[in-house]
Amino acid sequence: MSIYRPTPTDSFPTDTSVLQGETEETLSKHIPSPEYPAQPLNRNAHLQWLVRNMVQGFPTRYTSQDASQPWLMFWTLQSLSTLQAGLDSGNKQKAIDTIMSWQYPEGGFGGGPGQAPHLLATYASVCALANVGRPGPGGGWDEIDREKMYKFFLSVKQADGSFTVMRHGEVDVRGIYCLLVVATLLDLLTPELVAGTPAFLASCQTYEGGFSSSSQPYFSSGTLLSSPRPPLGEAHGGYTFCALASWVLIKSFQPPPYGVDIDVKRLLRWLVMMQGSEIELGGFKGRTNKLVDGCYSWWVGGAFALLEMLGMPAARTEAPTAHSDTDDEWDDVDGQSYPLRPSVVQYSTVPDTLFNRKALQEYVLYAGQHPTGGLRDKPPKTSDAYHTLGCLSGLASAQHHVTPSTRRREEITLLWESNTECAFTEQRKSAFIDALAWVEEEGASKYVGSSADRLNAMHPVFNLTMTHTDTMMGHFYQQTVPPRLMRRNV
Amino acid sequence: MDTPPALYAEDPAWADVVPIPQYEGVSPLAPIFYTPEYKDATDYFRGILKTGETSERVLELTERIIRMNPAHYTAWQYRYKTLLALGSNLEDELRLMDMYCIKYLKTYQVWHHRRLLVTLLLPAPSTSPSPSPSSNPNPTHLQTSNPTLALLQLQEELDFISRCLSADTKNYHTWSYRQWLLSYFNHPRLWRGEVKWVERLITEDVRNNSAWHHRFFVVFASGHGEKGEDAVREEIAYAKQKISLAPNNASVWNYLRGVLDHTHMPYSTLKSFVEPYTVEQEGRSEDVVDLEDPLPSAGAELPCALAIEFLADVHEQEGGVEAVRKAVELWKSLANEYDTIRKKYWEYRIREALATQQ
Ligand SMILES: [Zn+2]
Repeated sequence: MSIYRPTPTDSFPTDTSVLQGETEETLSKHIPSPEYPAQPLNRNAHLQWLVRNMVQGFPTRYTSQDASQPWLMFWTLQSLSTLQAGLDSGNKQKAIDTIMSWQYPEGGFGGGPGQAPHLLATYASVCALANVGRPGPGGGWDEIDREKMYKFFLSVKQADGSFTVMRHGEVDVRGIYCLLVVATLLDLLTPELVAGTPAFLASCQTYEGGFSSSSQPYFSSGTLLSSPRPPLGEAHGGYTFCALASWVLIKSFQPPPYGVDIDVKRLLRWLVMMQGSEIELGGFKGRTNKLVDGCYSWWVGGAFALLEMLGMPAARTEAPTAHSDTDDEWDDVDGQSYPLRPSVVQYSTVPDTLFNRKALQEYVLYAGQHPTGGLRDKPPKTSDAYHTLGCLSGLASAQHHVTPSTRRREEITLLWESNTECAFTEQRKSAFIDALAWVEEEGASKYVGSSADRLNAMHPVFNLTMTHTDTMMGHFYQQTVPPRLMRRNV
Repeated sequence: MDTPPALYAEDPAWADVVPIPQYEGVSPLAPIFYTPEYKDATDYFRGILKTGETSERVLELTERIIRMNPAHYTAWQYRYKTLLALGSNLEDELRLMDMYCIKYLKTYQVWHHRRLLVTLLLPAPSTSPSPSPSSNPNPTHLQTSNPTLALLQLQEELDFISRCLSADTKNYHTWSYRQWLLSYFNHPRLWRGEVKWVERLITEDVRNNSAWHHRFFVVFASGHGEKGEDAVREEIAYAKQKISLAPNNASVWNYLRGVLDHTHMPYSTLKSFVEPYTVEQEGRSEDVVDLEDPLPSAGAELPCALAIEFLADVHEQEGGVEAVRKAVELWKSLANEYDTIRKKYWEYRIREALATQQ
């Protein structure tokens, strides 16, 4: 029997509440108890699972992702990086060669060799290369055909500022996020490329505060009307992350036109409302009245850091005094103490998240981990590559406080060299500096178990490690990036 | 349909095509273990991509691949290209898709393919963007020129979507396809039945957020619903009634907030409605029945956190020391008792409200 309150059903059951009730029953069995002690991060099991997929290959059921081979690669490599692991140089080279075989002769990357270029596949390929690639012959980075890629990007641009994911493909904000990440990493951003895109993104925000997949434009004799531009589909965690991250990237490059904006207050409310209650172990949902799911640990949990780029300050926690050997912070308001004692950190005032970062860690550790390795949507499901990265990145974002740093910004600015002759050098510089200004704040990390569970902090926009981001952008912008203080862990 | 040989490699009708293996000269990391049938079909597909052949047998090939992997977007893309090149009957293709949409409900590509077909089959409205010739061939000869027939076809399409939604009431692709169909063709007759239709779905499951979103889309966001004051009052009354049925339902509270925000109405207009939902059940007197402000049902579990949040917003909007004090009390009760998982957020609201007072 769970000690936590089930979601009230008001004696009025419907399909939604019945499914919710069943899920809560399953999840509550994963709340640690004296018989079932809390699980630490099963690092070795996950590493083995990831390496097995990588070296031996994926089982037949993954045929449904044959057009997502770059994703399988990215999810796996990025999960390894999150776990502070990497490939040996032989396998790295194999990975690079595999990824490069997906590049399409006319620009962009496809879901596999010979497959048509696609924005999502392009993001996954480039971000996989951020993990394993390098400059120079055979390293992948310099073999990316940036010119043709830019042409591919322009070829899928639509009149309303959006992009289709491929030729004859659908419009949605995932594609825009993927395009903007790649364009930012590879120094391909231009005013031409992003013209009209901020207004499109803003039009996808729904009355709930989150974002939908796309919106419907209306034209009057060829001119786009500013209203109506109704969102197609309800507010959704994945689209919300993509829209918000896109907004942050574009805003760094150039301010949105007058009158075009998003409602940050309503967005924040929607984001916090996506967190499930204690009986759901504090996992995140992707839509109102849907079930919690491990992948939203990143899509929704990871979105909070982005709000700081929009001027929403981090919550501050006043720590009491250095007296206690128990951490105030992690004792819940109802006085219910948890079976696991968190590691004690003492500080005067530390930044904190506006969501319950302790609960999110618990969801990933107690419900997200599959006993035989890999992570998952929720029990009793099996693990898969996508949910493994979603859970791990979400866990990392709940462990660390990653924030734009003024000092880091100054350091990067100091080393910036004006090295192009384009008409938008200041915008280019600003996009570069903003993207690299994120830092993991010292002393602000917290772990539900112990610091042995530490994961690498992720770049909140790209979902890459800070080091990979620094190196890749430094290379493509031909800039010197000041080194970061490396933490030694594990 | 007669059964063709299991593998193209054994089919004499395909002997002229040179199959291309997926990886040549690369020993891939993280490969997928395909079935022999899938490997065979995609090897021949790569062969076709190379020659650029568009033919009936290519339609058969892409269909076979799609059956094994409906997310194979290149197969879909090439199928579309082939249909156009052959001048195939797109009605037939649409009927074939009826089956696939239901079978592969959760795949982006089936819904998008459908959208491409419908766009070609029916005349484009004047409000749609002028298609760029390269990305949209828009062969007018394929289209229905009779407007009544077009309307009938659209109505049929809505009926088809309804059937799909009864199998999966929250399918994102299906819902956004319906919203696209309505707003793209933008036919007044199509919009007309929509509120009544979605009302049935809300009645079936008052917690179906997709249905609530659709209602908002039709009545407000699309710009084509009724916008008069009466209509707004009706929507508010509808939401109140659904709240009274089962107050702990975030979908309907979000809808109510959406209506107020969209029409710039102050939250305080609903203060007397909300108050009974913020206190325990037993303290209420049952004798007064107010049709305008329905009371919580007997089974309602109170106090309702969503109502407390709403009332706090009412107070905050009112402003002034006393009102903000009341809001702070309510937020504290959420942080410490009724919605503890969001403690940090409620504390943030308190800090923000107090800060603006200074
Ligand atoms: Zn998921």
